[in-house]
Amino acid sequence: MSFEELPHQADVRVRVRAEDCNVLFAEAARAMFSIMYVTCDEGEIERRVSVTSDDMQSLLIDFLSELLFVSEVDRVVFSSFDVVITGTSLTATARGEPFNPAKHLGGMEVKGVSYSGLTITRDGEGFCSEILFDV
Amino acid sequence: MLEGITKISEVEWEVPVGYVPGMRVPGRFFLSEDLSETLEGGAVQQLANVATLPGVVRYSLAMPDIHSGYGFPIGGVAAFEEDTGVVSPGGVGYDINCGVRLITTPLTIADIKNPRALIEELFRTVPTGVGAESTMRLSEADLDDLMADGVDWAIDHGFGMAADAEHCEEKGQMQQADPAAVSKKARQRGRPQAGTLGSGNHFLEVQAVDAIFDPEAAKAFGLEAGQICCMIHCGSRGLGHQVCTDHLRVLESATRKYGIEIPDRQLACAPVHSPEGEAYFGAMAAAANYAWVNRQVITHQVRTVFARLFGIAYEEMPLVYDVAHNVAKREEHDVDGKRQTLCVHRKGATRAFGPGLTEVPQAYRSIGQPVIIPGSMGSSSYVLRGTATAMARTFGSTCHGAGRVMSRTKAKHATPGREIREELLKQGIIVRATSDASIAEEAPDAYKESDKVVDVVRRAGLSLPVVRLHPVGVIKG
Repeated sequence: MSFEELPHQADVRVRVRAEDCNVLFAEAARAMFSIMYVTCDEGEIERRVSVTSDDMQSLLIDFLSELLFVSEVDRVVFSSFDVVITGTSLTATARGEPFNPAKHLGGMEVKGVSYSGLTITRDGEGFCSEILFDV
Repeated sequence: MLEGITKISEVEWEVPVGYVPGMRVPGRFFLSEDLSETLEGGAVQQLANVATLPGVVRYSLAMPDIHSGYGFPIGGVAAFEEDTGVVSPGGVGYDINCGVRLITTPLTIADIKNPRALIEELFRTVPTGVGAESTMRLSEADLDDLMADGVDWAIDHGFGMAADAEHCEEKGQMQQADPAAVSKKARQRGRPQAGTLGSGNHFLEVQAVDAIFDPEAAKAFGLEAGQICCMIHCGSRGLGHQVCTDHLRVLESATRKYGIEIPDRQLACAPVHSPEGEAYFGAMAAAANYAWVNRQVITHQVRTVFARLFGIAYEEMPLVYDVAHNVAKREEHDVDGKRQTLCVHRKGATRAFGPGLTEVPQAYRSIGQPVIIPGSMGSSSYVLRGTATAMARTFGSTCHGAGRVMSRTKAKHATPGREIREELLKQGIIVRATSDASIAEEAPDAYKESDKVVDVVRRAGLSLPVVRLHPVGVIKG
């Protein structure tokens, strides 16, 4: 696992590490869905997402927010992500399985992805991000 | 107490200008010495950050359930001048008009012969947990009407009684609602979810009145010793979350456009009467109205279950009151002897209007509005009443709950949900949830004791205890 949870009293704060920004964003998405659903298995469903933002922090928030939206309205639990970032735009393919109440119980609903304390930094040879999810 | 904070009284503390750069006014928070060890530096920093926003009036405030949030701290209250001030989704949060209401029944604890059957029937009837959908099928036009009319929409569609609207803050309808400012995405999320409890700290609890502190106020609120009541805590679901997400994006640009400097991007804001500020306020008000409908539809479901199981009339289960926890409002307050319209933000705080105000329902006007303070799972809840002191000191605001002291994930690992469920059952409290894991995250130990939080607002005079309610059974969202 390349994400870990950090202490936070009310919400869920995670640190994600990856060798490049594409993987960093994919891992951030994986962290978010693991908070929401605990069990996220590979599945046949694919959704394409495109986002353009003002800067990298906004891009990460807009990307995760878009996944929250697609997941909720299409009732899909995503588990893997291929992300390609170009400047402050990205396209991504998210894969997952249909939401199944019997299987996906016990997680926490993520209400939003916060700018508070959001960081995206270089971490040696790779990148690191800290993200606060409102649950 | 943390360094740099000044003691004002046994329960009030000041964060002086200069605690963070750019503060326009001091911060003030309410906390007792014995709760001070629960105070996080991050929460105080957020309180101070709010004090840097343009047009902030008098103080950036926080209630004793203060803890670290995003943008504003949880428990945060701030009022802004209409002409020079701002409106910020960071002062409302993602779950717009997350709130709580209390309905009474003519039953006493002795009438509940089989509490398990009652809780199971409520659990089957009220859609609960992540991914739960409503049995209502709303058209696009329905959703527009619902967001404009709030609780009246629900009553007109058979989900309540005429008197219910009178007993909601704002009469369950913010008139500034602008459904046109609510995006297609927010609508898509909102259509299937009206009348669903959600998850996290949302709950539906059957309670019994176990202590009366103010008999006159209790009588006015329709509360009696031993009486069975039902408390409902939920918000605006995905629709509200999306409204916040959408408008935060717009307000990020607006912050730069209007040259406003903010210490935290989550405090993105715009002047109250700018196009961007008005659009956010209109969408937020529409989401607030959606939340009131949500709680009203659940109220209808609860009343239907009680009527069926106990043979009591629907009309015998009046709504005591419904309060919003996460909202921005245009309210009139006295500032330095002058009556002013302010944009009051409450994030994890409750309005606590005192006696004599026209905003308080006629039946309660001599007492002050009911303030409903949910306890953590398995602990007592309270009904308080608003005071003139709150009007003078906190823009008519008080605490909203117990306040977390342990992260959800730490709580999940601290004690398994099954153990908590069994322990509470030994105390005579039934807990029903979609899974044991979701019970663990809301463990009683994860919260400050509600008694201590309520005691601080009592000592500060921000609201006064009327009754205490003990849980009988809880449906955890």
